Amino acid sequence: MASHDVRDVLNLPADGAGARPSKKQKTSAPRPNLKGLAREVQNLGGDNPIAIVPQISSFKKRRFASRKPAAKWEMRPFHNSARDDATLILRHWRRKDDAPPAQPPPDSHDGQPADDKMAVDESSAEIEDSSFAKFNVKVHVPQYSDDQYNSSLANSDWDKDETDYLMDLVRDFDLRWELIWDRYDYQPDIIQSTEGGDLPGDDNPSSAVVAARKPRTMEELKARYYEVAAKMMAVQKPVQYMNADEFNLHKVMTSFNPAEEARRKKFAENQMSRSKEEAREEEALLVEVKRIMARQEKFNLERRELYNRLDYPHAETTQDLSAFKTSNGLQTLLQNLMTADKSKKRKSIMATADGQSTPASAGASAHPGSTPVADPKRESIAASTTASNHRDSIGAAESRPEKPTKKGAAQPAERRKLTEQEEQIYGVFTTTERLSSGPTFRYERINKILTTKSNAQHQRITNTLAELDIPGRLNMPTKDVVDQMAKLLDNIQTLLELRKISDKLDGEIKLEQAKKAEKDKLNAPAQPQPAASEQASDAQKPSETNGDAKPEAASSTTTDAAKAAAPSTDSANASAEAPHTVNGEGAAEAAEAKPKDGNAEVKKEAAEDKPRPGSSGGHKRSASVLSTVSDQSAKRQKK
Amino acid sequence: MAQQPLTTASVPTDIYGGDEVSALVLDAGYCHTRAGFAGEDVPKSVLPSFYGSVAGTRNVFGDECLVPRADLEIKNYMSRAESVVEDWDAATNIWEHMLIKSLQPEREIHPSKNGLNDPDTKAAADGEGDVAMEDAAAAAAVASGEATEDQEKPLAESPLLMTEAPWNSGKAREKAIEIAMENWGTPAFWLTRTPVAAAFAAGKASALVIDVGGANTSVTAVHDGMILKRSIQKSPAGGLWLSSQIRSMWDSCEPKVDVVPTFMVESKVPVDAGAPAQAKLRKFPFDVSPSFRAYEEERLLTEFKESVVEVWKGPGKYTNPGNEELVKSQPGRIFEMPDGANQMWREQRFRVSEGMWDDAAALPTPGADPITKAQTIPELIRACLNNVDVDLRPNLLGNIVVTGGSSLLTGFNDRLNSELSAMYPGMRIKLHAAGLTTERRFGAWIGGSILASLGTFHQMWISKKEYDENGAGIIEKRCK
Repeated sequence: MASHDVRDVLNLPADGAGARPSKKQKTSAPRPNLKGLAREVQNLGGDNPIAIVPQISSFKKRRFASRKPAAKWEMRPFHNSARDDATLILRHWRRKDDAPPAQPPPDSHDGQPADDKMAVDESSAEIEDSSFAKFNVKVHVPQYSDDQYNSSLANSDWDKDETDYLMDLVRDFDLRWELIWDRYDYQPDIIQSTEGGDLPGDDNPSSAVVAARKPRTMEELKARYYEVAAKMMAVQKPVQYMNADEFNLHKVMTSFNPAEEARRKKFAENQMSRSKEEAREEEALLVEVKRIMARQEKFNLERRELYNRLDYPHAETTQDLSAFKTSNGLQTLLQNLMTADKSKKRKSIMATADGQSTPASAGASAHPGSTPVADPKRESIAASTTASNHRDSIGAAESRPEKPTKKGAAQPAERRKLTEQEEQIYGVFTTTERLSSGPTFRYERINKILTTKSNAQHQRITNTLAELDIPGRLNMPTKDVVDQMAKLLDNIQTLLELRKISDKLDGEIKLEQAKKAEKDKLNAPAQPQPAASEQASDAQKPSETNGDAKPEAASSTTTDAAKAAAPSTDSANASAEAPHTVNGEGAAEAAEAKPKDGNAEVKKEAAEDKPRPGSSGGHKRSASVLSTVSDQSAKRQKK
Repeated sequence: MAQQPLTTASVPTDIYGGDEVSALVLDAGYCHTRAGFAGEDVPKSVLPSFYGSVAGTRNVFGDECLVPRADLEIKNYMSRAESVVEDWDAATNIWEHMLIKSLQPEREIHPSKNGLNDPDTKAAADGEGDVAMEDAAAAAAVASGEATEDQEKPLAESPLLMTEAPWNSGKAREKAIEIAMENWGTPAFWLTRTPVAAAFAAGKASALVIDVGGANTSVTAVHDGMILKRSIQKSPAGGLWLSSQIRSMWDSCEPKVDVVPTFMVESKVPVDAGAPAQAKLRKFPFDVSPSFRAYEEERLLTEFKESVVEVWKGPGKYTNPGNEELVKSQPGRIFEMPDGANQMWREQRFRVSEGMWDDAAALPTPGADPITKAQTIPELIRACLNNVDVDLRPNLLGNIVVTGGSSLLTGFNDRLNSELSAMYPGMRIKLHAAGLTTERRFGAWIGGSILASLGTFHQMWISKKEYDENGAGIIEKRCK
């Protein structure tokens, strides 16, 4: 197939008709020379012949081209300043020319070691230091004097000798606790001195003492070391002057908890000794957790999409409208809306289609090694959710061609995650509520609260604020301040409302009391009040005795009231009532159900309603409400 | 062009952290002693730790000297049970033979002192020329007094790194530095433990080292280049123990296998499998000592181990029902004894090595304690791990270094892996066993070679000056 055929197939414009004859002439010249495979290759390339340049290896030439005189090497002495005994002179081979001009004594090659050493002493300044000396790093182990030990480090479990021993080991083993613990073999001095060394036969009692000394656990060693280190750190530099690193270190060391650590180790040990089945089960549980997380993510995604949908037109219209006043502007707006709509539609269609059309098998293949033992049902559910979720996210990424969203999707990956502390410092916070577009001032939130109120209310709130000595306009509206202010305003508002109610109720109470006084004057001896209270206590009693002692007085009237109250109390009572539905005694039933609900007030109300059905049930009810509300308001005010 | 090798001048030596100071490395084991230059990958000189003692006066070293002759006793300077030096005089001799005679260039000695012209030592030069010269030189050195002492120190140019068993005693360690410093005058000395060196040879600073050697099998945890002393586990279930198992198997075989070492056979004719041997044995005009014969038999057994014995790969024990039948149905291996007798070995070759893993399967050996359960390899590993901190265990199981010549048995690693995965099901287990035979046999030496050629190691050496100031006790303080 020649290249113009390819062009033809691909619908590419053929090289200009005029150019063709001339090119043909060109190519026709070398063609007859080629045969077989070479011609085929030539045809493939067509007008742009494939460049096949034979590589000529310049292997042999190179080898002889770069011949230089052999480099000169010499045995050069050096010392290592990282050694305790830095006078040790070792020798190694070095290139002669890269040496400093100071030449090592030429006779040191064939000289005897003794001479050599003397020569070395003379010219020790010239001898280079090992380049590896810089790698010698040592841990810093706290130092303390006797006084310091006695004043701040004394411990009932550790004497000074043992602490010293521990510190030495720590230094020797560079804080590698596994080794320190492994080699820890402290022999108290007293025993050693009494034994006097090598009399293993006859010192049974003292050796028994040694054996009785319980070996230290690694946690004990660590705890002691951290204690000493932290205290010495604080002695050298009081805690308040430490910089962040030092402070953190100090905090870590002081908060070391040996018991916790021991527990952790025990847990780790159990973890190690678990059987294969247990390990597998654990793995299955982890997979389950992952599944749940994935589902959560899916929900979040859907929710976000919903928000986006709700948000979109707002974002456009709240901005400057003048852009859309011309026909051109309207056109672009329309297009924007269309594309947004289209993408959303496509996405949601894709999501649903994928979610439904992908069978469990597809999901199973996506999770091939997840849980071989997990029951198939669970597996399929998980598979379908994960699969659809997976597709969903892909669809979302693909079908949002708009720039801003893409940017938003790309950015979070790059952005550095701030810690909580940093967020506080920089005042970064994230809101869970939906934001309107564009920047807003924080104090506008406060203003919004105030301005939405009626004039009189506004006035009252400002009065209260003035009373509290708080300016209406915040000087420094940081997030915390605004939050607190909002809370305060909220509280003030409730307070005002409650005050209003209480005022109203006070008035009513006064009115009623006046009425009552008048009534009392009319029929002084007859008192229904005690009867009512008696009834109330009667109604309460059955609740304890499980409802067989039925109050005589409460036969008919109570039933009504209680029955009326019962459904309003709580639907949860239904279960409590269930076993007693057969007895059909409304009073007992209601009285039993109500105390369980804990709503004594409503019950009392019902009981009080009975003796005076005609008078003022509403008033009594409101009185009891009042009592609770006033309690609450008192609490609020306390706050 | 990229494949063109770098010239020696441009090889970036620095990044490897190597800095050669022409140190020597000596690794002594019960079966072999290895010596060589630091920085090389195999020891230059490997000699059996068995040496010949001629008529109780003169010692000869090296395989070529261990030939049947009158009054030759074969001895070993190491102790069988501990793999530590027992006979310090012989040890000094053999080490000198290796480090100084084999590895150092010939020194020019003034004719008046080279011993050749001494009338009283001439008689000693009776064919064993090398050794006689050595003795003569020593005698000459003694004779000429200490005027030239400094010059006579043979290792004054080379630091020396030696390995030792992890359970080596403090006395033995002091003795080692004493010999190196006083006798040989090394400018610097260091003593490292074989598991540490083996771990380094595998490129690991922390590892669980399983060393299946000649006389002993040991399991040791190494953390950051130091052994954890509490973790050391040792058992006799090594190469020699395996030999005793093979002997026991041969004795109980039907027909009984006769152990005829190679040196006894003058000529043989091929016979059918299972047929009695038809060989002409050599007659010696002197009594061949039993120790020599035992040494030669051990060589035969080694050959048998190398070519026939295999470890059941698992899963499970070899004695589990069905396994033996399976092995019987598989092709076996033919082994021909030096005297021509040959036989096919099938299930027996698995049987002899099973005792390493399962004490119940060990064959009874007359005159030796049977192996206990705690001495089997899986139990050694379990005991070792139980004696280290729990935080280290996963890391150790992920870095298991298998070394030692006896670990080269076919199927050893597979079995080890299956035993470990059965013991620690939830853990990641990774074995690191060098593929090359030499690397496995000389693991500790190679590790020592790496260590002694590191630039950062220079600060570790115990120098002559430090030794002079502190005495031999410095070894305990420094080489922890």
